[in-house]
Amino acid sequence: MMKTTIREDDGKLIATLEGSLDTAAAEQTSTDLKPLRESEGRDIVIDCHELEYISSSGLRILLGIRKHAAAVSSTVTLTGVSDVIRDVLMTTGFHNLFSIE
Amino acid sequence: MKSRSSIILIVVAAVLVELTSASMYWFASRGIRQEVQHRAEAELQVKDLEIQKVLNSVETAVNNSVWPIEHSLGEPDSLMAILHRLTARNSTIVGAGLLFTPHYYPQKGRWFEPYVLEQPDGTFKESQIGGPEHDYFQKSWWKEGMAAHQGYWSEPYFDDSGAKMMLCSFFMPIRDVKGATVALLGADVSLDWLSDVINANHVYPSSYNVMISRSGQLMACPIESLVLRKNIQEMTARIEDTTARFVNKEMMAGRSGKADVKNEKGEKYYIFYAPVGVTTEDSHLVSSTFEGSTPGWSMAVVCSDKEIYYGLRHLAFNLMLLMIVGLALMGYIIWRAVRNARQLQLTQSENVAMEKELHIASAIQKALLPKSFPPFPDRQDVDISAMQTPAREVGGDLYDFYIRDEKLIFCIGDVAGKGIPAALVMAVTRTLFRNVSAHESQPHRILSAINNTLSEDNPDDIFVTFFVGVLDLPTGRLRYANAGHESPVLFTNDGTRTVCQPLSVDSNLPLGTMPGWTFTQQEVCLHGEATVFLYTDGVTEAMDYDKALFGKERMYKALRCCEQRGSVDPKTVIDVMRAAVAEFVSGAEQNDDMTMLSVRYSRQEKKVSMRRSITLPNDVQTVPQLNDFVRDVCQIVGLAEGRRMQLNLAVEEAVVNVMDYAYPEGTKGDVVVEAVADDCLKFIITDTGAPFDPTAQPDADTTLSVEERPIGGLGILLMRQYMDSINYERVDDKNVLTLSYSLEKVITEKRAI
Repeated sequence: MMKTTIREDDGKLIATLEGSLDTAAAEQTSTDLKPLRESEGRDIVIDCHELEYISSSGLRILLGIRKHAAAVSSTVTLTGVSDVIRDVLMTTGFHNLFSIE
Repeated sequence: MKSRSSIILIVVAAVLVELTSASMYWFASRGIRQEVQHRAEAELQVKDLEIQKVLNSVETAVNNSVWPIEHSLGEPDSLMAILHRLTARNSTIVGAGLLFTPHYYPQKGRWFEPYVLEQPDGTFKESQIGGPEHDYFQKSWWKEGMAAHQGYWSEPYFDDSGAKMMLCSFFMPIRDVKGATVALLGADVSLDWLSDVINANHVYPSSYNVMISRSGQLMACPIESLVLRKNIQEMTARIEDTTARFVNKEMMAGRSGKADVKNEKGEKYYIFYAPVGVTTEDSHLVSSTFEGSTPGWSMAVVCSDKEIYYGLRHLAFNLMLLMIVGLALMGYIIWRAVRNARQLQLTQSENVAMEKELHIASAIQKALLPKSFPPFPDRQDVDISAMQTPAREVGGDLYDFYIRDEKLIFCIGDVAGKGIPAALVMAVTRTLFRNVSAHESQPHRILSAINNTLSEDNPDDIFVTFFVGVLDLPTGRLRYANAGHESPVLFTNDGTRTVCQPLSVDSNLPLGTMPGWTFTQQEVCLHGEATVFLYTDGVTEAMDYDKALFGKERMYKALRCCEQRGSVDPKTVIDVMRAAVAEFVSGAEQNDDMTMLSVRYSRQEKKVSMRRSITLPNDVQTVPQLNDFVRDVCQIVGLAEGRRMQLNLAVEEAVVNVMDYAYPEGTKGDVVVEAVADDCLKFIITDTGAPFDPTAQPDADTTLSVEERPIGGLGILLMRQYMDSINYERVDDKNVLTLSYSLEKVITEKRAI
């Protein structure tokens, strides 16, 4: 199951992802993260401390956010990325698209 | 370097030829000179003899009259008769006279000279001509004749009064009984014949002869008008060359010799001279009866240097021309030879460069083919051996194989022709094979794709016979398609014995002949152990010295040898074949590329330690159930949490893929996921949807920028990344995708911990 929260802090949009972002959860998560695609130039931070799992559907959501951010010249930062997810990001080349902290 | 030595060669040759011809010229001119001298001397001698003959006859006639006259001195009037006889008997004596000393006969007066003259009409005129008007005592010849006491020849003179000819007189003293000279008997000798004798028979056409008297008067020369009018000394006075005057002196002194003289124009003449009328030792033809009396004449043969050496110089000139032409020709030939040698050298170095390039090409071509055997040392199910010997440095045969997604994809081919063109097409074909088969597991489609590309632009109509096999390693299903290549040989083992037979193939068309050709595909299932032997016609058409072909019969005979031995190990098969061919050709030159590929497959039956399955509808909302299934399976086989996450990701991607694409939008279908563990953990995902081979999909390009990144393609990438192998098969109208993860690694990992 997946839990998503978005808050604004210091002019940045901070989204927290908790749980397992599998294909079944992807659609809902995509809807939940819609505000990130309306960031209007604010930088985005996605907190992955509690993210256990991510499938390619989840990656697609991240890519959509990243593409939108690039269009309005804002940055997307992933924080608290676990080794397993970091490996997925490395495998898919997504580490090149995000700044990972 | 070369041109310098050739120039030296030409110069040396020129110098040698020059030296040779110069010495030849010198010897030849010396020979000519000697010849001229010889001829001139002979001429002088002949003329001398002729003249001497006449003079001797005169001398003899006069001499013979001396005695009668001396006995008739007492009767002066009888003397005329003797003179008459003397004149009449000798044709050259035109007159004879007896000149007495003053007052010898007192009655005759101071002058007394009875004279008989032969007139032009043949009559004789007798007269006494001595007198004041003919005061012979004053003549030089009187004094000299009287002083001579013997025969004396006067200087020649021109008789203006009588005969109108050149005359010369011979005098003999007449003595009385006391021995005192009382008179001179003189015979006037006509010298009309002298010019004819002298001017006849020249040594050379333009050479001429000259005769002078002892005082240097011209007696005979080519210009008649000069005779007796010119003195040789006057003639030569203007000549600078002092040799001319020396020659005059010599001649006038009665000596013989030779000299080179240059005239006033500087032209060179050779003069050979000798006195006339001096009896030579060997002139026995004429015996002088009156020794010591010589007219003191001298004759010279004058030859022009130009004329003497005309022939030689002409020859030398022609030779020189020939020599120049010869040297030029030689130079040209040497130049050509040097140029050719250079060209040859250039060609040779080009050849060396080309050979080097061919070596490189050969190495590149060899690198295109798998060459480390056994290629899969860790695999139990498959072993391969191959060999290739191109007839030339590079060849048109190819073979290739590799394993992708648990499928062994292999091929063998033969490009029509040999050498570089064939090698280029071979390289293209091999590249196409690799590119196409990377995303295509159906042999007939692989052939179609290669064929279409090769046919597109094939101006030389080069074609390739080609065989592609795709062996599904988990099941032993061999799919193959053939494009006009030789049937491979299949060894099968039913557990008791090995049977070897040609694999049944549709021949289709060779690649590159017709674009758009639909190739047929065939299939055979390999149970137990099987070996496929593939070859190119270089094997069956290997020739011995008698041009006999190795042939299929011999090939099968050799293969059955392996069969009987029960050893169909791929390396053994190839070694046996190679040895059989080598023995057959026994050293004859290989005329075609020869390639063999041998693949052994043995299906691995493994002990299954776990088998579970789950059936899901094509609804992504059931993915959590799948995740639970995977978690359970991983726990059973003892995989760590991180590894579980990865396998889960791979399986989810595969299943979601099927859910999304296998069934048309809106239709329901099941996806069966079976987990089997032996030495691998396998997830076998089966659906009854439309054929879909995810292994044929290209991986996502992970290097693209944000804007360029497509949404799809990540699933297959993750599957390949996290599983050891994936394998797709379409079996009984079902898509069967197998994801394998080796558990041996897990055991190793655990041990390491």
